[in-house]
Amino acid sequence: MKIETWVFGSGTFFFVPLAFVYGLLNQWEEPVGFAALLLTGGLSAMVGLYFFLVGQRIDPRPEDNGSAEVADGAGELGFFNPRSFWPIGAAGGAAVMFVGFAIGPWLFILGLATFGLMVLGLVFEHYVGDFKH
Amino acid sequence: MATDAAVPGRFERTAAPEAPPSPSLPAGLYLPSGAVNNRGKIIADWLTTTDHKKIGYLYLISSFVFFLIGGLMALVMRAELFNPGRQILASNEAYNQLFTMHGTIMLLLFATPLFAGFANVLVPLQIGSPDVAFPRLNAFAYWLYLFGGLIAVSAFLLPGGAAAFGWTAYTPLSSEAYSPGLGGDFWIFGLALAGFGTILGAVNFVTTIVCMRAPGMTMFRMPIFTWNALITSVLVLMAFPILAASLLVLGADRQLGAVVFDPENGGAILWQHLFWFFGHPEVYIIALPFFGIISEVLPVFSRKPLFGYKGVVFATIAIAGLSVGVWGHHMYVTGAVLLPFFAFLTMLIAVPTGVKFFNWIGTMWRGSVTFETPMMWAIGFLITFLFGGLTGVILAAPPLDFHLSDTYFVVAHFHYVVFGTVVFAMFAGFYFWWPKMTGKMLDERLGKIHFWMTFVGFHATFLIQHWLGVDGMPRRYVDYQTSDGFTLLNEVSTVGAFLLGAATIPFLWNVYITATRAPRVTVDDPWGWGASLEWATSCPPPRHNFNALPRIRSERPAFDLHHPEVAAAQQAKADQGALDQIFGQSDIGGTATGRHQ
Amino acid sequence: MIPAGTPPGRRGNANHDRYRRSVGPNSRDRLRRRGVVPAVLAAVAALVLSGCSADTLQRGYLPEASTGATDQTQRITDLWNGSWVAALAVGVLVWGLTIWVVIAYRRRRSDDPAPRQIRYHVPLEITYTVVPLVMVSVLFYFTARDQAAILSMDDADGGAAQHTVEVIGKQWSWDFNYVEEDVYVTGRQAQLQAPGVEDRLPQLWLPVNERVEFHLYARDVNHSFFVPAWLFKMDNIPGRENQFRVTPTREGTFAGRCAELCGENHAEMLFTVRVVSREEFDAHIAELEAAGQTGQLSVELSREGLVPGYVGGGVTGRGNEGGGN
Repeated sequence: MKIETWVFGSGTFFFVPLAFVYGLLNQWEEPVGFAALLLTGGLSAMVGLYFFLVGQRIDPRPEDNGSAEVADGAGELGFFNPRSFWPIGAAGGAAVMFVGFAIGPWLFILGLATFGLMVLGLVFEHYVGDFKH
Repeated sequence: MATDAAVPGRFERTAAPEAPPSPSLPAGLYLPSGAVNNRGKIIADWLTTTDHKKIGYLYLISSFVFFLIGGLMALVMRAELFNPGRQILASNEAYNQLFTMHGTIMLLLFATPLFAGFANVLVPLQIGSPDVAFPRLNAFAYWLYLFGGLIAVSAFLLPGGAAAFGWTAYTPLSSEAYSPGLGGDFWIFGLALAGFGTILGAVNFVTTIVCMRAPGMTMFRMPIFTWNALITSVLVLMAFPILAASLLVLGADRQLGAVVFDPENGGAILWQHLFWFFGHPEVYIIALPFFGIISEVLPVFSRKPLFGYKGVVFATIAIAGLSVGVWGHHMYVTGAVLLPFFAFLTMLIAVPTGVKFFNWIGTMWRGSVTFETPMMWAIGFLITFLFGGLTGVILAAPPLDFHLSDTYFVVAHFHYVVFGTVVFAMFAGFYFWWPKMTGKMLDERLGKIHFWMTFVGFHATFLIQHWLGVDGMPRRYVDYQTSDGFTLLNEVSTVGAFLLGAATIPFLWNVYITATRAPRVTVDDPWGWGASLEWATSCPPPRHNFNALPRIRSERPAFDLHHPEVAAAQQAKADQGALDQIFGQSDIGGTATGRHQ
Repeated sequence: MIPAGTPPGRRGNANHDRYRRSVGPNSRDRLRRRGVVPAVLAAVAALVLSGCSADTLQRGYLPEASTGATDQTQRITDLWNGSWVAALAVGVLVWGLTIWVVIAYRRRRSDDPAPRQIRYHVPLEITYTVVPLVMVSVLFYFTARDQAAILSMDDADGGAAQHTVEVIGKQWSWDFNYVEEDVYVTGRQAQLQAPGVEDRLPQLWLPVNERVEFHLYARDVNHSFFVPAWLFKMDNIPGRENQFRVTPTREGTFAGRCAELCGENHAEMLFTVRVVSREEFDAHIAELEAAGQTGQLSVELSREGLVPGYVGGGVTGRGNEGGGN
């Protein structure tokens, strides 16, 4: 996990100092760039820290082992839904919602309701019916 | 490894890695397993698919259709600009709608989803995983993109027409006062929806790459395309939320009477900062995956590994990091940004870009170079992108940008870098991976015709625009006067544009005849020298990508599998210096005791 | 290296040959390929150089009207020329390398199946990281120096401002306030292709060799004050005052354009800059006074009092003509 941590975390050491350099050079009069760069550094730090902590917690993985054999990764990999109509349904609901932003609150509410139902369906898909775990 | 037929979806990898690859399955691309000739079932299959390959094909097809639509808009604009006078369009406003939607479509509905398409098709194959981490989220992201894009473009059917304030949507022009009507609103909310799709796609790619690699596929053995997909996804996570937020706030200004972007409150400059903080990383989001494609194609047709693998990885990370800090170079003439800060960082980006360029050349150096169609496109990219990069350094200098900003020089520059990267590499990728995706090879002769028409047409259209810009013709002008002296330059550009448009025809014909008449590919790697893992499975791959994974001991597992005599000649060198370890090759070799990262 | 005597079948994928046969490099293809690229380069060079006389090249294809136009145009031209020399040198090197690689290392039938699999070379990679870094730093030095000079509002750079002009951009024309002279000009949108439209564009008259300070405003949306001959533009941002100083050093009539998308008639927001002798300038100011255009137009962010209409020949019923003089 070390490299993944660095891919994300190294950004912190670039964006945060850069934010302060930018702020200083602008005599703190330009708030947008400072805020945006600082928050980008925050995003890098958040993800990098998460990977760091996860890396401490888990055992070494076969994909991080340069001499791993394929057999090292044997076993159940996960559950991959062969098909699902909830994604397109949820996207349709979201689309109606967003058009509703443009057209009027009535359409937005309709879209919100549809989207909500579809998301519920998506989340509970693995708890009921065909794909029950 | 096998899918457990009793429980659809459950996937298990069995400990039999040396089993010989099974013969390639019949074209899973066109028919769901078991169903034959039932059109309704086929449509339902595509609408409910969670297979990353199919979702990738959906992205690729939709992006390409948007590309054609955006291209047609460009032809109408170029036809209008052929001569002074407004001959074709009914109004000036129509022209503004055209360039707004041309830019929007090309950047946000073609190039960005194209990245998602290639990444979807290739990343799980390249890292040896059976699918992405969140297959349903993957599908959801695609449909968000498609619906969002359709919303934005459908505004053309409205009485007021589509958005007409430029893809950059500067306030106050894009506010309710100066661009009233649903066209602008559809644009805003459609793009916000599509932007959420992009963000979710990026989350998926990062998770997949971090969590689902095959055994032995260490980070520094991943193909460069996968690295670039990872870094692009990081950029997406940094940039697109700002776009989504800005769009929704603009929407609030327009719909709910908010005053965030009101000019009295400094809103004009605020919008520009926010938009370009997204907008500049956006152009690297569309460039980096396609640099990745080039990094895949060049080694295969030079029969050598990519030169300076780690250098390329670090250069890409540097480009991505720097790209977040240079947004102000789009704002030099506003008088509102700190010029030296942005000028310096912008010029700095040329350095890692140059490193990548030299590494690409180094890949071909002392190689054994063959000129199949994908390679032609890659070389065309090198020649074209270089010039765009050079004009970029010119524009990075504020004293020069004061004259050139918002003129055709900028239009020429960004078409060189963006078209040169995205379109040339897209076609390189199409020709290269067509057998992997569809099981058939595109015709080489038509491919070469397609390439040369595109190459000549592109340069004829855009090279001359540099002069047009230097002469002072601003962008987004529907018309000009005879006395301006712009006429001849515009005429040349228009003729070139039509040649460029016509160049798509051999490609479409190629796709058609390949689908109907070409023989099937029966081997895993029809090009012979493929390096990355997708070339170690059938064409097209089975549903969960691999019936048997090869052992992974370098960044070129398929090459090692198919050319063991060459791979055997390279051993990992013992006792490499620190500089070699940091800056040198990928993770090749492996010891008996294993080495964990 | 591949051990000698390795049987060809070990290449792995025999089908690869079948596909390659239709495209394999035979001598005709090779010759054609060798001839094409230099021919294309020669054609491009001919096209570029055909428009070239000594002074076109000297100003690097910048507009002819820019030669000696202001106190800054020479500085900008020098930076432009220097940057392009450096850029083209890099371009020739890298294009040259690309074309060399493509020609010299193309596969010949007699070659071994795979060449030596070189993967990296740290000293080389470091060199081509550090050298561009140095080049870019040098370029940055010159651009920072020039940009500070161009945008300086200091009396020490170029002298005190002898005139102040307020430029207010509006949809879709320009208003000019001559502050010290206390007169104004108000513009109407042009109608392109109409005969005589150039004479009716709003005109900005300036005396040659006298330093002018510009204040830029906007009444509604973003505009941009662009004079191509001056190799310069600066935006008119509503809610913000922008400033710059310039000394026009060449008499003449120069085109002016709006360079920031501002709506439907962005392309028609033209104006003219007339740099004239001091006497002619004074005479023009007197004309404006005589025409009753005394006082100053408001620079407020407001569209009140805007009069719609075009300037152009033969357009009736759409508002007055004139406005520019």
